[in-house]
Amino acid sequence: MAEGYYDYPVVKRPVWTWEVPAYFWLGGLAGGAYLTAALAQNFGSADDRRAAGGGYYVAAAALVPCAPLLIADLGRPDRFHHMLRIFKPLSPMNLGAWTLTSFTPVAFARAASHAASTGLLRGPLGALARLVPTRLAELAGVVLGLTLAGYSGVLLAATNIPLWAKSKLLGGLFMASALASGSAAVTLQAGRRAVPDATLHRLAMIESAASAGEMAILTGYLVQSKKAARPLTTGRFAMPFWLGAVGAGMLLPLLLHRVAGRRHGRALRSLTSAAAICTIGGSLALRWTIFEAGKESAEDQGASFDLARG
Amino acid sequence: MIDAYKRMMNIEEPPAPKTAKGFFTDTSLCIGCKACEVACKQWNQLPADGFAITGNSYDNTGHLGATTWRHVQFIEQAKANGSGQEQRWLMMSDVCKHCANAACLEACPTGALVRTEYGTVYVQQDICNGCGFCVPACPFGVIDRTPKTGHFEAGTAHKCTLCYDRLKDDMTPACAKSCPTASIQFGDVEELRTRARHRLGELHARGESKARLYGMPEGKEAAEVGPLHAFFLLLDEPQKYNLPEVPRLPRKTMTERYGWSAAVGIGFALVGALVLGRRG
Repeated sequence: MAEGYYDYPVVKRPVWTWEVPAYFWLGGLAGGAYLTAALAQNFGSADDRRAAGGGYYVAAAALVPCAPLLIADLGRPDRFHHMLRIFKPLSPMNLGAWTLTSFTPVAFARAASHAASTGLLRGPLGALARLVPTRLAELAGVVLGLTLAGYSGVLLAATNIPLWAKSKLLGGLFMASALASGSAAVTLQAGRRAVPDATLHRLAMIESAASAGEMAILTGYLVQSKKAARPLTTGRFAMPFWLGAVGAGMLLPLLLHRVAGRRHGRALRSLTSAAAICTIGGSLALRWTIFEAGKESAEDQGASFDLARG
Repeated sequence: MIDAYKRMMNIEEPPAPKTAKGFFTDTSLCIGCKACEVACKQWNQLPADGFAITGNSYDNTGHLGATTWRHVQFIEQAKANGSGQEQRWLMMSDVCKHCANAACLEACPTGALVRTEYGTVYVQQDICNGCGFCVPACPFGVIDRTPKTGHFEAGTAHKCTLCYDRLKDDMTPACAKSCPTASIQFGDVEELRTRARHRLGELHARGESKARLYGMPEGKEAAEVGPLHAFFLLLDEPQKYNLPEVPRLPRKTMTERYGWSAAVGIGFALVGALVLGRRG
């Protein structure tokens, strides 16, 4: 016997579709890749800089589908620009639209200037790209990229959907997942070129730190969510969540990195690449399962009452 | 310069604030006739929702939604007494609460959702881009988006306007006008609150001990979303009417959540800098 009015939901089921988790995943990956590349530029060795510089290309490439995905999900895609008629950071949706709009040109400018510095971009375009103030672009890009990676979880949490809103940690979880997938994407592109083992080891260590952090935050998230986490941990999203997001996306890469720690050359490259692919896929699985399970959570009358117990 | 810009962009000054208007829905008077649902649909030209039979009492409307701005609930309660089962029907005409701190309004990224001069919450149909964020933000599950295609005003958010167009002409909203038992009362919010307190005293005196008001400034349900401009007299716990005990305002916990997100990002940047900085 339901506590409320028949078994009717208290809150409305979100109307968003697959474009949203796909955008969150790519936007997070772009932010994470940009940050990793910028860290290597500023703190790494010459080899690190060369290996991680491709991270700027990854960030720019991942951003290409972001705006189309965000726009496609709108009820009135022709009015996307209405997001930008006001600046209202109180609304995570508005903050996100501004962040995406400003991060995209910064990431492209930095990618172009990197291409110019390696000789990939020549001629007048290369000359133009060399004018980009790299330090400024790195600083602005890191702030904007981190905002893009971190706001998505806060956006979902700023609702009344029990699975999203109960815990304080969804923003942190999506941030960690974004950084893991972003650094993994940098490792993946570095592994395809001849880079020294030491650099790959360092990149793998960064990725492992993000994955381990992600595991810890996920544990906290599930503990805080209590019964509200049921649509995610049991039922039809349990398999993709436990096996995909947790198993293949976090545990397996950690294990592969442990093995890779003692390897060199081709074996190392294969192991880190496999781990990176797992991390990137797992990050998508995490966004997708939490997003879709949130829709089921909206129908959970008891969880809604629990959330609003004060 | 700002004035020149406003003239150039054709930006109008918002109307001056007026006395706050609202609804007092006294469920003890509701007979479940659904005249409010019909009057609302008719005045606001909202399409029908189909002919689905829910099997749950006489309520085949089910929920408030993008095209359903009044919804009459039929709560059937059976309780045992000495001679067997006593049956009672609770009826309640649900509506947008027009919260003083509205979650939908705060979520809105375009400024389509505004507070009107009457203190009500209103969606500007020409601004809304259908981002859908207000839908899960509302703690009462009121606002919804129409389908993207095949619909009048497709793909935008809709909810009760408290008949903003009628208010502009000093008219009573359609639902209140059509209510035959004065279960739905419209007026100045302050005056309605006085009336509600008086009515509650009357019911308590008659032995309706479970009667209570929902959405008054002093109620615990106003802790986050503030007093409701459309408030209710209920004959049982709020949950029985699918109303949350303490409706949440997402803003209240947002800073903390951004904080955790930022902490993770900064922590990762520090670890990354340390790992990359350690040479050899």
